[in-house]
Amino acid sequence: MSKEQAYYVPHGTYWPIIGSIGIATLFVGFANQMHGVEWGGSVMALGFAITVFMMFGWLGQVVNESVSGIYNSQVDRSFRWGMSWFIFSEVMFFAAFFGALFYARQLSVPWLGGADNNIYTPELWNGFKTGWDAIAFTTPGATLQSGVEMSVPTQLVNTWGLPALNTLLLLLSGVTLTFAHHALRAGHRHQIIGWLVATIALGSAFLGFQIMEYGHAYHDGLKLTSGIYGSTFYMLTGFHGFHVTVGVIMLTVILYRIQKGHFTADNHFGFEGVAWYWHFVDVVWLGLFIFVYWL
Amino acid sequence: MIEVLIIVVIIAILIALGFGLMGLLKGGSQGSDKMFKSLVTRVALSVALFIFVIFSGYMGWIQPNAVVFDAPTIQAPIQK
Repeated sequence: MSKEQAYYVPHGTYWPIIGSIGIATLFVGFANQMHGVEWGGSVMALGFAITVFMMFGWLGQVVNESVSGIYNSQVDRSFRWGMSWFIFSEVMFFAAFFGALFYARQLSVPWLGGADNNIYTPELWNGFKTGWDAIAFTTPGATLQSGVEMSVPTQLVNTWGLPALNTLLLLLSGVTLTFAHHALRAGHRHQIIGWLVATIALGSAFLGFQIMEYGHAYHDGLKLTSGIYGSTFYMLTGFHGFHVTVGVIMLTVILYRIQKGHFTADNHFGFEGVAWYWHFVDVVWLGLFIFVYWL
Repeated sequence: MIEVLIIVVIIAILIALGFGLMGLLKGGSQGSDKMFKSLVTRVALSVALFIFVIFSGYMGWIQPNAVVFDAPTIQAPIQK
């Protein structure tokens, strides 16, 4: 790391504008795809490709600058602050989704069924009962006023099957990552590689089983259109699955960087950032497993 | 009672994770040590909680949410 105390000011770069063009193209394509426009999908793919190109180029440049030793402690601090703001936004995202689950399940759905002061519910719709599986009270093939057809599942996801196995896999990946972290701090490079490969394999297995579980759920008719249960289930698990995917990609990049010898026992912020992110994703899943499937 | 215990442990896990983040933000050898120790705590607590939840379910102290639908279907604020 550089001993220079003046802040490192990078040279001029085209990457931010390339990134803006990539993301704008991606969303224009996505929006048009959602409206059924023919070229939507291709424009979306083009936007995605530009974004990936930007990430490789920009982040690769940052890695090269870091390895060449031109960053000082001020730049190190700015990276740490950047990471903390990113994590703050992530926490807010998940807090909103968990909040939606809590509000729907504990408050609004019971109110529909006449809880608290809604004593007139039976007067209005005689025989109307509700519960967390409120979707069951919809006639199959019924259409909402918005014209969306509701999908009525034959059963909910079985807690003891894939969800429990997936929780075990993800928790084990937290353990293997901790061993990798310990090996890095102790300077044992071969051990880090072994433990990191195990972590990536466990994360990938989790994703594979999650796809299988979605397949089962979809087959049983549990979809995003299956009322509040379907919406919250797919929103929470889908968003989490996306994070695991990103985590696996980041861990793979870290594995590549360790093989290249980019980190030392006392200078490895890249590893620490990704490790913390993985622990966070792990804790979110544990929360999901307990609140969606058990409590 | 079991539910309260589970939620208390979840809060403890979140606190350990939060201390880890503080270590990450601080940096240096002190921050790095703090982060590593906090994450070890969070992993240990998580594994213990998972085992406890599965054991509680096995013993019947808590019931999973997965219920098979056999409720009557009533159409209320929707149109055919």
